[in-house]
Parts: sequence; C-alpha cells; structure tokens
Amino acid sequence: MSISDPISSVESPVALWSQTDTANAKIALRGKVNVYSLGGVWTQIRNAQDAWLKQGPSSGQSLILDASQVSSFDGAGIAFLIGVEEAQHKVGGKFEVVGLDARYQTLLHEFDPISNLFPIPVEKPKRGFTVSTGMATQNLIDDARGLITFTGHLCSDLAWSIRHIKQVRWGDFVNAAVEAGIVALPIIGLVAFLIGVILSFQAAIGMKQFGAESYVGPLAALGIVREMGPLITAILLAGRSSAAFAAEIGTMTVNSEVDALITGGLSPIRFLVVPRVLAGILVMPILTLFADIVSIIASMFTMLAYGIPFINFYNGMLAVVDVEDIASGLIKATLFGVVVSAIGCLRGMQTGTGAAAVGISATRAVVSSIVMIVLVDGIFAFISYKTGF
Amino acid sequence: MGAINNNPTHSDYAIEVQNLKVGYGSNVLMSDLNFTVNNGEIFVILGGSGCGKSSLLKNLFGLYQPLSGDVLIEGHNITAAQGAEREKIMTSFGVMYQQGALFGSMNLLENVTLFMQEHTELNQDQMELLARCKLDLVGLLPYESYMPSEISGGMQKRAAIARAMALDPKILFLDEPSAGLDPITSADLDRTIMDLSKNLGITFVIVSHELASIYAIADKVIMLDKDAKGIIAEGDPKVLRDTSADPRVHQFFNRIMSKDVA
Repeated sequence: MSISDPISSVESPVALWSQTDTANAKIALRGKVNVYSLGGVWTQIRNAQDAWLKQGPSSGQSLILDASQVSSFDGAGIAFLIGVEEAQHKVGGKFEVVGLDARYQTLLHEFDPISNLFPIPVEKPKRGFTVSTGMATQNLIDDARGLITFTGHLCSDLAWSIRHIKQVRWGDFVNAAVEAGIVALPIIGLVAFLIGVILSFQAAIGMKQFGAESYVGPLAALGIVREMGPLITAILLAGRSSAAFAAEIGTMTVNSEVDALITGGLSPIRFLVVPRVLAGILVMPILTLFADIVSIIASMFTMLAYGIPFINFYNGMLAVVDVEDIASGLIKATLFGVVVSAIGCLRGMQTGTGAAAVGISATRAVVSSIVMIVLVDGIFAFISYKTGF
Repeated sequence: MGAINNNPTHSDYAIEVQNLKVGYGSNVLMSDLNFTVNNGEIFVILGGSGCGKSSLLKNLFGLYQPLSGDVLIEGHNITAAQGAEREKIMTSFGVMYQQGALFGSMNLLENVTLFMQEHTELNQDQMELLARCKLDLVGLLPYESYMPSEISGGMQKRAAIARAMALDPKILFLDEPSAGLDPITSADLDRTIMDLSKNLGITFVIVSHELASIYAIADKVIMLDKDAKGIIAEGDPKVLRDTSADPRVHQFFNRIMSKDVA
C-alpha cells in the first residue's frame, strides 16, 4: 500500500543507536523515515544521545549519522536530523551525516542556520495586582463609555427614523419582527403556561391553610400582569433574539461588512440597529400580552383543581387587576424590548476578530441584556412605588 | 466498480479521476471528467472565475460527494470509502483552503502542531521543531506565536500551507496559493513548491490564476470552461499558450480582453 500506515511502519525501528566509546557514536537510519515511524524512536535516540554526551569529554564528541539504508525520507526526517545536530552543537560536539541522498541534503540546507529553529523561550511578564485592577477598571470605563455613546447614536438615529419614516429599512424590520416575535410564540407560550401553573399551585398550597384559595387567582393574575409576564418574555427574548442579533451583526463585523457600510457612507446604526430595535419595540408588548393571557388561563385551570370555578376567578381578577396594571406591564415590556434588542446589536458591533469572538459577543449580549433587564425593572419598580402607577 | 478501484496495484497515479460529474443537486457544473495526476507532478487546474475549480478540488479530496464518478487517491477510491478507511486516506494528503481557514483560537505554531498531536506519537518538543521547519519553509518562522488575526491575508495563506504540510503528505491540494501575495513572496513560494516536488516527490494539485507562477511551476495543466462544462485543454502550459488553436485557451493564456475577441 502506498498510503503510509502508522501501525505497520513502526514495527521495526527506523533509527538505531550504537556507540563505540565515549567519544564516538553512530545513528543508523533505515527504511521509511516519516512522521509516523519516528514516533517514540526520536525520543529514544535523543535520550541515548544525551546520556552519551554526559559521559564523554567536555567537547569533541563525534556523532555520525548513516542514512545510506533510507528508502524514503520526508520533512519529519529532516527535522529529526536538525534536532540531533542541534543537541550536538550545543555541547560543542561534532556531527556528520553520511549517505544521505543529495536531494534531501538540498532540503536540509533550506534551514541553515538551524539555530533559528530553536528560539530562546521568553517568559511572559506577570501582571501585578495594581496593574490588573487598573486594567479591569479601564475596561469597565471603556465599556460604560461605549454604552453611553451607543445610546446617544441610537437615540439620534431613532429620532431620524421618525422624521424619515420612508427611509427606514422596513424589510429588515419585518424579518427581525417575525424572527423575534412570531417564531418565539411557542416557547413563550410554553414557559408562560408553566409559570401560571406553578405560581398558582404554590400559592394555593399556602393559602389553603387559611381557607383563602379564592384569593390566589387575583393575586397570581396581578403578579403575572405587572411582573412575571414582562420579565419572562424579556428573558426569553434576551436568550433568543439578543444573542441572534449579536451573532448576526458580529459575523458581519468579522467579515468587514460593517466596515463596508461605513465606507459606503451608511450609518451601521441606522442600517442595522434601528430596524432591529424597532422590531423589539413592536414585538415585546405583543409577546408580553400573549404571555399574560396564557399564564392567566393556566392559572384558571390550576385553580379549577382547587374547586374555584372560572367565573369566581374571573370576577376576583377584575376586582384586583386594573387597566393601569396591564398598561404598566406593557410599558415596562416595551422598555425591555428596547434594551434587549439594542444590547444585542451593541455587543455584535463590538465583536473582535475570529470565529470565537462571535461566540463571546453572543454570550455577552445575553448576560448584559439580563443585567439591564434587572436594572430597568428595579428603576421601574421604584418609580411605580413613588407614583402609584 | 469497487473491485477494480480498491486494487492496490492500481496506484501508478497519485490521483485518478474517472467519469466525474461535479455539481450541486440539479446544477451540474461539469461532467465526464477523466484525468490523471502522476506521482510527484505539479498539476494546475485553470479556468475563469465561477467555472467550478474550487468545487472540483473539494470533490477531489472528498469534502464533497460527486454527483457520479470516482476519484482514486493513490489507488484508493475516496468517493466510496467510509469510516476509518476514509480517515486514513484523508491523512495521506494536505489541503490549503482559499481563505487559509486557520483556527482562530490558536497561534501559528499550534495550528501546525494540531494534526501531529492527533495522528503521531511525537512529543511536544519534537512536534514544535517539526512545525518550525514547516513555518520556516514558508518564511513565517518569526511569526510562530502570532494569532491568525494578527497577520496579513497573504501570511495566513502561507501559514495554511505550512499546516497542510504538517504530516508530510504525499499529495498537497492548494486552492489559489499565490493570489494576494506580493511578487517576491509568490516567487519564493513557487520555489518552495518546486523544491518539495523535486526533492520529496510531493504531488501538488493547485488551483491558480497566476499565469507567471503557472509557467514557472506547472508540469501539466487542465483548463475548465463554464459553458463547455468540462475540460477544454490539457497539457504543458507553455505549449498550450503557443500552439493552442482553441480561442478560449488562447485568450486565457495571452490575457486578451473579452471584447477584443468578440
């Protein structure tokens, strides 16, 4: 077989070590010398050579490499010769190759001087605590500055898009809205249903001790409409669409497509970010409303198991949940929509180079989105507590 | 077909292509391709942009499955091979992709040693020495610890050639190796290719447009054509340039603009 077979070629060693005395030694090469057949043999020969070099006089030890029995030779064989030669030279010994075919010698001379192939390892300077802290702080400041600059650009471009409504890329907007909205309905429905069941089921266990099961429905509905609905929808959107935006724009950044937009006189924010943020603004309230409805229906069915008929649940809910509560939840959802889609786009535009950078951007997009969701939720809770909205 | 194709005595050629039909689904790029590449030959695939040179190359080294026909690498049918046999054929050749396709998370030295780590029993120092030799051949020794993103496109290509040579394969497939290189580096690369071919008997299959480089290195070329969906010329490039009666071949080798022909 002409294809080199790693197993059959290592049966007999391709290199043999023999030493006549402490000053003279010989390596005999034979057969097919290649990257597979040298495995193991290389180490044995070098160990023998090192042991022999230690025994002998401080300089002038002579090593002969006999390559007359070699049937085929390749780059690995040449590297082997260079390795042996360098070890000889390091201690001032002599090295001679005999019987090597002229064509291989031409290749061997390509690597002169061989000392270049053995660079002196340089140790990386270690960073002290102060330097690391300083760099971390600098990164944090840069990140914050990037976020603020981006927010400014985004606001101005959103304002531009209101004034130039026809120039917005509505095709991209529709694609993003379908991808982030309609395609997300099943997963949001599933999670919302589960939250509805668990919320009311857990509450009912406690409330039953006081015979207050009839209050579970209204409480769960209020919690869902004001808090849980927007929150779970936003987190799912962060996981699905924020990451998708970051990966998509990140890949464009890696492929210099974003640079091409800039040099073509187009604002990447206007071109890439605005349609996606508008899509986020559109789909978040709709998805949240959908999640609210599914969750409340799930809660109704759960309470039915506790003997609360639908009509009681419904009436109880109407007494507690106002239009204001729903509106509050939906406004919050809209804010989440802006934050989640904008962060996804920002992380995408901040992508470095290479395939790994896209993965890092997608991860950062999800993490930053969730952090921002919590932040916005906290601010919103404070405002609504103070104003009663 | 398997009985003949897997016969080990059938490896007089490095590569043998039999009735190959290349395409994607119903889109046939070329059909009835029959040619052979001799051992140690520098074989160049030519043709205008979009005629399917890279697709043909990917069919030759088994990345894509041809619509029909067979490709024999050193007598082994790569289109029919499965599992371990296929893997073994795959390690017998090296490939340089058009864009380099270096692993972005590893520096150049690690890129070259990766395949050695998986397929050989050498230790780390030995693999690094071997990898440095390969990088030296393509003139990138000083850049061994650079990441692919830190070097230029031409350097990435050369590093990709070093990686393709990692296991000292008998066949190297290069997809446009000299495109985007400066004339000096390109000439150096040509010389390296010729040295390796002459001294180590490595067979090269190269897709290229660079006429100067083709005249310098090619033993044999085949020229593909989009409309003919097949080979329109085959042989020594200089002979084709001077003697070919086919206007398409004449136009290509003499760099004549299309409007001058029409």
